[in-house]
Amino acid sequence: MTAAAGAGTVPAEGRAAVLAGLLEKAREGDRGALDAIVREVNPLLWHVARAQGLDAEPAADVVQTTWLVFVRHLDTIRTPQALLGWLATTTRREAWRLLRQERAGADPDSEVVEHALSPAADVDEQVLTHERDRALWRALQAVSDRCRRLLRVVALVDRPDYDVLAEAMGMPRGSIGPTRGRCLAKVRELLLADPTWSR
Amino acid sequence: MSDPDGLLDDLDADILDALARTWAAVDPPPADLDERVSFALRLADLDVEAARLQHDALVGSGARAAEQARTITFDCDLLSLMVSVLPGDDGVRVDGWLAPPAPLRVELRTAAAGPDGQDVVHTTQADQAGRFVFTGIPHGLAQLLVHGAGLRTVVTPGIVL
Repeated sequence: MTAAAGAGTVPAEGRAAVLAGLLEKAREGDRGALDAIVREVNPLLWHVARAQGLDAEPAADVVQTTWLVFVRHLDTIRTPQALLGWLATTTRREAWRLLRQERAGADPDSEVVEHALSPAADVDEQVLTHERDRALWRALQAVSDRCRRLLRVVALVDRPDYDVLAEAMGMPRGSIGPTRGRCLAKVRELLLADPTWSR
Repeated sequence: MSDPDGLLDDLDADILDALARTWAAVDPPPADLDERVSFALRLADLDVEAARLQHDALVGSGARAAEQARTITFDCDLLSLMVSVLPGDDGVRVDGWLAPPAPLRVELRTAAAGPDGQDVVHTTQADQAGRFVFTGIPHGLAQLLVHGAGLRTVVTPGIVL
């Protein structure tokens, strides 16, 4: 499989099996396997960091820090679920730590803080080649910030992995299903009212 | 939908596929993120203490970025590490300070220039005041390691010099 494909294209069981194999090899000291895990999981960690409200450069730093902290714990992590949960949790905590520092150092009224809390939506829609994706992007601008963040990470997590999603968002496991359901329903409603989606 | 987690119908599945595509197009990870992480993890010993990047600021008012010094601070429980990065005609100069000051061994790893090249490790010793310097360092990915501050080697993330 191509590691760069990330979520969405690899069936959940296939991805878990691939990660399980790579994890075992990495624990035995295979650096190629460790690199393959990095390539497979980096898109998820990137979006977890960005969904917390970090700018691009700090988000990339947080992802790097997460991996540097991770390698010390490699021996103790046994399953793909544990791997993804540990990495998502650490990425979120590192992102929160950085945001606390940024906020502590910033003028609380400044736009910088506002910006950090709500990532800009001023994206060039031309990067979206499908008409439907442009409709979805518009719909995402109309939902709450909480929904937008959750739906960013939902798309990268295999469907049964609500534990990973809860870790990634810092939300209770039990509220993930209902929140995801409400956010998806809202987007659905907006899309069904948009002729460019249904056409 | 009676399933407590919400059963997905075809439309939900379409939306999830579109979400994955859309976020990947709108906000992809930096193109070099995988390489930066792989470089930072290409260490002989993985039992390391990660130093977090605290501050990366351009100092000075050089008209070109190449003339500007950059100050970067890394922090962990064992020590703080501040470096000033100054590009020059004969490579990059890196001035560093350890706090608390200690005469520890410091390494600067730079990434291989080509796909078949080897990473290069430059080694120096900080003085009693915790100061150290590297000169003539090539541009590109680099990482600092500090030995002897504790049981574990302190390592920074990969930075682009």
